Amino acid sequence: MMCALTRARARTRVHSSLQILLAAAPLLVAMPARAYDPATTHAGLTEQAVLASELHRVLGHRLSRPLGLFEPIVLNRADLDPTLARVLGGRLDALDPSGGYRPGADGAAPALAWVVAGAVIAETPAERAKNLFFDPSRGSGLTQAGGAFQVGHDLRMLFAEGGGLRAAATGTTFNLTGRPSPEWLLAPENDVGLPAFYDQLEQATIAERPGPRATALARALLALGGTLAVLEDAGDPAHVRNDFRGAYLGDGGSSLFDRGSPFERYVAETFGQAGVPPAAAPVNRPTVMAYITAADRQGLADRTQRRFFSDGTLPEPVVVDRLTTGVEAMRDARESLPYALPTLPHLDLTGMGDIHYAYASGEPGAPPAHRRRLLAYLRVPGRVRFFLDRAVYQDSARALLPEIGAYAAGLVDHLFRADIHLEIKAGSVAVSVTGARGIVRKGEVRLYFEDASGRRSGFASVPASTTPSTLTIPAGARRIAAALRAEDDAGELVAVAEQPVL
Amino acid sequence: MRRVVLLLAMVAASAACGPLIERAPFAVRPDSIRPADLLGPYDGIVIDADLDRPIAGATVAAAWAFENGIGFHAPSGSREVVVQTGADGRYTIPRLDDLPEGASARIRRFTLVVYHRGHVGWRSDRVFPGQAARRDFSQRGNRVRLDRWQPAYLHATHLVFLGGGAKVRLAAAWELQAAALELDGEHLPLATRAKSETTTAQVGLTMLDITKLLNDDEIRGVTGYVGKFEDGKLSDLPTTEFYDSRHFKALGKPESFDVGLRVWRLGAAASEVQYNKLMTTLPGAHATDEVGDGSFRAQSGEIGGLVFLVRERGVVVSMTCGSGQCSEPAQLAKLAKLVESRLPELPPEQPRLAPTPEAVPPSDADNPAVKPTPSPEVSP
Repeated sequence: MMCALTRARARTRVHSSLQILLAAAPLLVAMPARAYDPATTHAGLTEQAVLASELHRVLGHRLSRPLGLFEPIVLNRADLDPTLARVLGGRLDALDPSGGYRPGADGAAPALAWVVAGAVIAETPAERAKNLFFDPSRGSGLTQAGGAFQVGHDLRMLFAEGGGLRAAATGTTFNLTGRPSPEWLLAPENDVGLPAFYDQLEQATIAERPGPRATALARALLALGGTLAVLEDAGDPAHVRNDFRGAYLGDGGSSLFDRGSPFERYVAETFGQAGVPPAAAPVNRPTVMAYITAADRQGLADRTQRRFFSDGTLPEPVVVDRLTTGVEAMRDARESLPYALPTLPHLDLTGMGDIHYAYASGEPGAPPAHRRRLLAYLRVPGRVRFFLDRAVYQDSARALLPEIGAYAAGLVDHLFRADIHLEIKAGSVAVSVTGARGIVRKGEVRLYFEDASGRRSGFASVPASTTPSTLTIPAGARRIAAALRAEDDAGELVAVAEQPVL
Repeated sequence: MRRVVLLLAMVAASAACGPLIERAPFAVRPDSIRPADLLGPYDGIVIDADLDRPIAGATVAAAWAFENGIGFHAPSGSREVVVQTGADGRYTIPRLDDLPEGASARIRRFTLVVYHRGHVGWRSDRVFPGQAARRDFSQRGNRVRLDRWQPAYLHATHLVFLGGGAKVRLAAAWELQAAALELDGEHLPLATRAKSETTTAQVGLTMLDITKLLNDDEIRGVTGYVGKFEDGKLSDLPTTEFYDSRHFKALGKPESFDVGLRVWRLGAAASEVQYNKLMTTLPGAHATDEVGDGSFRAQSGEIGGLVFLVRERGVVVSMTCGSGQCSEPAQLAKLAKLVESRLPELPPEQPRLAPTPEAVPPSDADNPAVKPTPSPEVSP
């Protein structure tokens, strides 16, 4: 009977004898916190971001991958440390082939697929999602501190935090806290974070043999996807408003084991992977972290936090009577908000039982079709209740998804901002660097030549400068490769290039 | 206390059960509103939408996606079944019987991907072109109506839409080069183009045909060769609406007597990209500027190559000739010039639609790219 109960198709035949379990089960199971659904939403966001970026040209022109985003790249697990091969391989093997980003049995997948796969495995195993929260106003990651939550949620959390049963069932050690996502992005133990991206991109050019170079390129693209996943979750209101309990422990799942954020579920079901809207034009920011948060408050987390409510950071219900004015109700509601923004506009208390919407400020002249619903509220006898419904989710997704794509595309271009020019003629190569921001420090352009067997060896280093340095190409060289690992005014910098010797 | 113990026991018992199964977002049959059984089995027929006839040999890839975790969810595995349609266009996907284990295991989705060259790919969840959700998929008696490929469609958009596992990728591999060229030569938002595709009138698919550009006698006239040729196509790349090839194989002779001709007609921007790409990838490439708007030669063993670009026509031509056939470099140049002179005889290019102004997305106050300065609401 239990088995039948846990099947969604049987949940309409729940027997009364099990109603106790139905009522209590939400207290006994920890709820899903999968951020934007990795397999669909993150995959689609990443796909759109990469298509809007310059990565195709980078691969085709700088890395001599003629098919660019469609270039098949082989990750050979034999090139990896056995432990890493097992862990990474297990996560890749778990991916859904219909999404187009699961590598084949031969380890081959198009470059685009590797980036998308990286965004998906950034949250595999699922406990990694705990490190994808960031509250920019407090500079903290996911924490239980702060905010008054409903009693039911607190009860659930008592069980969720109980640890023993939950941890035994899930194999996780999630205690409703996590590292701030910007910190996780830079963590050495994040195998699809920025350090991995820099290291593997460099290895994709300077490794001695072609096989390991291809494997390193695949890993660099995976890490690029993992980096984008962190940024993309900065465009999830719950993730930037420290809202796990309210957003994730609410109702809405298809079964008692399947609770989750109704907004994220809405986005996943409405758009899937292929239906995610195209990214807007790439956003240019001064540093990697500025894509997430910055003093100018134009990081994605900053913008998302102050412009959107999440399910668990809404105003508390306001007590009203027939003499209460809209202004008074608005004032009371504002006092219960855990964050100062977004502000709550004037409330319309007419129409008992009618759903009203509060609209985002700053868009007063926008045509009705483009006005963004901020939250919904409903006057019932004695109080006004606030909530987010599918109409609000629809408007939020319409605003957020292209913007997330724009930030993610911008980050891709930012990471590949520097370009090493290799001009090869008459037995010499002229080397120059463009695209870096300010002066390049702490690094030189290292040059390698490739022989007929594909083996690469270093032969020179030159300063990273826009003024070309000319070097003689070693005899027998078939290809020249260059790598620069340094810093510029935008932070850490890795640039790579290669050209055939004509 | 007893109640708590009972509840714990029931939860523990559930942990030993089979997986959760999501409610299928599609019907069991086309004429039913009853939700399907996500586990299957599935069956249907693949037909040509224009001819209303079954399509044999279409690749049908079915995949179940699994997730697990009680506290967190993540992909935990999948099952994929790939079949080819029979002569009657029908496919059958057996019921999933190898279920993942554990109370937290979920069967999250089922997706069917159908691919047949010359047609638009088909997914059970989305429609191409555009991004609309598909509403006509059913578990049993499914009818997959494949639309003919149209020149206005973009292979890059199509491949991204198609997805699918390794076997689908293999079947669609012939689109890779075209897709890459599109991304190289164009820089418009893909969705903008996809939107314009939806307004495209139905036009037939016409392959590029370069048979008029060069023949056996003309080769003999240039090289003085007296033997026979067997004419065919080079086999590494398929003929498409923008690419064709000719292989003049010298009968009874080694490869060094063969002549090869490849032509890409891609438009001005993409042809430039293709030309540069060939220059960086062909062995021993060096500029010669002897034919067209730019040309270079390459050499691989006994095979010499000459590639040239004709910007006005958006054409890149690659000619190869072995040292047995072309004993002098000038002979290869003569053949190339002969081909260049025949380019006007190619059938006219089918027009590709430019995006319409109304296809540009409306401005959005939330969009930082459209409105780079902070709006009042974002300036606390």
